[in-house]
Amino acid sequence: MLFFSFFKTLIDHEVTVELKNDIQIRGVLKSVDQYLNIKLDNIQVLEELKYPHLSAVKNVFIRGSVVRYVHLPASAVDIPLLEDATRREAASQAGKGK
Amino acid sequence: MSFFGFDTARHNPAAAGFSQAHDPFAGLSNREDEGDALEFEETYDGLGDQLEETGDAFNDDTFGDTAGLQSGPVGKDFDFFGQTAKVANVIEEEHVRFNRQQPAAKPSQPTTQPATQGPSQGSTSRVSYGYVPQQATQKPARTGYEKYSSEPVADLQVDASLWGVAPKKQAQPAASPAPATTQTSAPPNRKVLSLEEVEAQMRAQAKKAAQQATPSPAPQPTATPSAPQPQVPHQMQYEQAYKFPQHPQSQAALQADRTRHDQAFAPGHGHPVTILQRPQSKQAPSPQSPAQPATHLRQQSSAPIQPTQILQNPNRLSGDAVRLGIRQHATSTVPVSIPTHPMHRQQGSFSRQPQIITHPSQLAQLSEEEKAAYLEQEAKRAKRNHKIFLMSRDNGIMTPQDKSFVTRIQLQQLVAATGNPNDHGTDESLAEDFYYQVHSQIQGSQRQHPSQPLNNFAQTYLFQTGSRQGGMRRHHRGPENHMQRMEQQVQRAVEAAKNKPKNKQLVIEGSLGKISFSNAKTPKPLLNIKRTESTGEAHRPGSAHKHSSNGGDRKSDLRSIELIYTTLMKMEDHDRVMPPPPANDADAEAIQKYVTWNSEAQILNGKLWESLRIHDHPANGRVHPFIALLSYSKGMKAMQRISRHLTHEQRTTILTLIVVNLDSLDVVRNAQVNSGPMQLNAAMRENVELFSGAVMPTLFNILNELDLDLVAGVLGLVCTRNVDVIAKSRIGASMLTMILSRAEIIKHGGGGSEPSWRSWDMTYTQFFELIEPTLTHMFPGPVTAGDDIYVWQLLAALGIGAGPDQQQRLVLAVKDRVMDTVALSKTLPQDLAAQRLQNVNLFMRSIGLDVELLQ
Repeated sequence: MLFFSFFKTLIDHEVTVELKNDIQIRGVLKSVDQYLNIKLDNIQVLEELKYPHLSAVKNVFIRGSVVRYVHLPASAVDIPLLEDATRREAASQAGKGK
Repeated sequence: MSFFGFDTARHNPAAAGFSQAHDPFAGLSNREDEGDALEFEETYDGLGDQLEETGDAFNDDTFGDTAGLQSGPVGKDFDFFGQTAKVANVIEEEHVRFNRQQPAAKPSQPTTQPATQGPSQGSTSRVSYGYVPQQATQKPARTGYEKYSSEPVADLQVDASLWGVAPKKQAQPAASPAPATTQTSAPPNRKVLSLEEVEAQMRAQAKKAAQQATPSPAPQPTATPSAPQPQVPHQMQYEQAYKFPQHPQSQAALQADRTRHDQAFAPGHGHPVTILQRPQSKQAPSPQSPAQPATHLRQQSSAPIQPTQILQNPNRLSGDAVRLGIRQHATSTVPVSIPTHPMHRQQGSFSRQPQIITHPSQLAQLSEEEKAAYLEQEAKRAKRNHKIFLMSRDNGIMTPQDKSFVTRIQLQQLVAATGNPNDHGTDESLAEDFYYQVHSQIQGSQRQHPSQPLNNFAQTYLFQTGSRQGGMRRHHRGPENHMQRMEQQVQRAVEAAKNKPKNKQLVIEGSLGKISFSNAKTPKPLLNIKRTESTGEAHRPGSAHKHSSNGGDRKSDLRSIELIYTTLMKMEDHDRVMPPPPANDADAEAIQKYVTWNSEAQILNGKLWESLRIHDHPANGRVHPFIALLSYSKGMKAMQRISRHLTHEQRTTILTLIVVNLDSLDVVRNAQVNSGPMQLNAAMRENVELFSGAVMPTLFNILNELDLDLVAGVLGLVCTRNVDVIAKSRIGASMLTMILSRAEIIKHGGGGSEPSWRSWDMTYTQFFELIEPTLTHMFPGPVTAGDDIYVWQLLAALGIGAGPDQQQRLVLAVKDRVMDTVALSKTLPQDLAAQRLQNVNLFMRSIGLDVELLQ
């Protein structure tokens, strides 16, 4: 749930989602769920010339499994907190594993 | 000759099954007549004939031309499918028969008969009639639809060919001389024909054949020389009729139909399906029709229009055919263009909802397709209305209260499945959603995301409303809207769920196993990897820090750092559950709680202290383990948090330890300045930054807690180390500045006893002696490099505490640098120059001077 928890905090921030088919979509993160499906608003496709079919699209729902990267706004990430959250996640995973 | 070389002569036509199958069309397919050679020559270039291959003689048998004797006309309408299918059947039959070990003489004669009969029948007429008759004689009158048609006709064809129905064969030859009608229908021009034309021709031939087979009462426009044995087919057909009761009629209809078509349909009008199947629907009318020409006309116009209906359900209409036919006769005067209308109406009335006929007038104006579509639509609509009607009986069975009750139950289940909304803030949900919870707390918990993730949408929903109404909700409950009640209900359910022991598995009473369930927050673990504590620790990802040669084992260092963090987090968690200190001594329970908490905190503190390895002794020549931890970025970052959980003594111990090891600190030892340009690598520079950002403030705080004795002690410790190394690093210099300035501050604050000041002065003097040779080498890089403020700070700290003699030595040591900087500042832009001069002034002022004096 770490990633889900993390992405929840990025809601209403602008992110760039890079898909596994190399399309990069920048937009405002509107929603994310536990599958890391992503809803973006006000999207804009990087390299728009290459993907003209997306130039008319305003918002998208992206299935989590097709996402390769999400480029984060660095200012919106609390790194020490994230580190701790990661530790907690790891600890709870280890606890579950036992 | 026969296909399988059986003796066809021995065939017994009287054998069971041989005579039953009659095919009205069979006449076409089995009529292999001779005398086609001429036509063949016309239609075929004859190249194939030039091939001389053994066994070619039977090719026609094999591939469908049952008129095996001539390497006969293949024709343009050769029916591969039909022929192949036939042969396939034959082969199958042969298999069966062979398996039965029977003398296979009987069955397979289909091909032979036409062949033998062929020559005897109107070959002359065929020739004379040219192209079209030839077609009629050719076998492949099949259209390929035979397999799909439900009519006995199609089946019969196959049977006939299989079993070599003798009577049929005889009948068909009778039909074969049909050509008479072709004079009208057959186009004299023999150019390349379109598909439609070919089809039409085929149809025409079929009709002709049937027509000739029966005595046609209608005065045909063409003088048809009737076939030699016109009656034979009739008889045969009636023989078959016992199997197919409809047949006599249909046969007659067929004939009539065909004649009609012959008259009206010139080639080019293609409706293969209709023609194949139509006969059934029209069995009745034609035989009864008194005035055939008229009916022909009318029917022929109507016939092609309704092929689909007939195709869809030939049997359905057949029953009504008589009626239909009669009607049509009665209305035979209807103009050709309209006649379909009454018929359709009737069809509709037979087969569909009665409402269709409610608008006959409208229907009449529609085209065929439109009508069909309309009927379809109508039927659909009726079905839907019916459904709605059926359902409408249940209308109003649930009151709004019922509905909201159900909604409540559903929501309750949803909440139970997704987790407790009130868990927010408790350990469990914090563990699941730590980042988000804490982050939103930090960012201000008021920020409600309208589009919060929906995996626990009920939770979100409740969370939002709950927080909006807050505690007010209890008092302020005016109108009991069901949303509020729902909310309460959920709350109660949640309470109950919280009290209920958490169970990952559901054991239903009476079931034999456990159902383990998962929810959005705790999905069912697919991988369950057990690992021991030690390996678990070992697999923690470490920071990508390059660990240099300060002797420690990087892996174990990282492991201990993680252990520190884990302990830290436990302590932080523990802090959060700190009970309020007992208000009075009477509250035994509260005291007990507090004591328990305290002892636990003590244990955790001990654990943390242990994990810091302060009291470990480095193995020979190695860096102290705690100092080694400070060479990792996350070790540095931990310092601030660590110090928060330590006692004063522990903190002092840490400071002492760091000072004692100051020259072996990674960021000191490996970040030495030299007179040349600074060549620290990026990682080290980053480390230095981090250290001064994360560790120095902590040390500064610790130092600020110390009194003068301890500060002097710390400075004394520094003196035991390599002061040169310390002073030549940024961190070391800053440490020295800190220590010296702390003493100054104590002095300004009037603290410290006389003896301690004396000891401080002694220590200071000792330290000054040690650092003096280094003074000129402390600056990072040449004058132009800048970034030397920390050096000036140290010099200032030194200068403040120094006596007049020491101040002079200071000035002497750094005079060049001061002058250079002043000179350089004149070449620099205003603000930059001012900054440089200000740095220098830090030092100058500390010894009672000012750069202004130098300019």
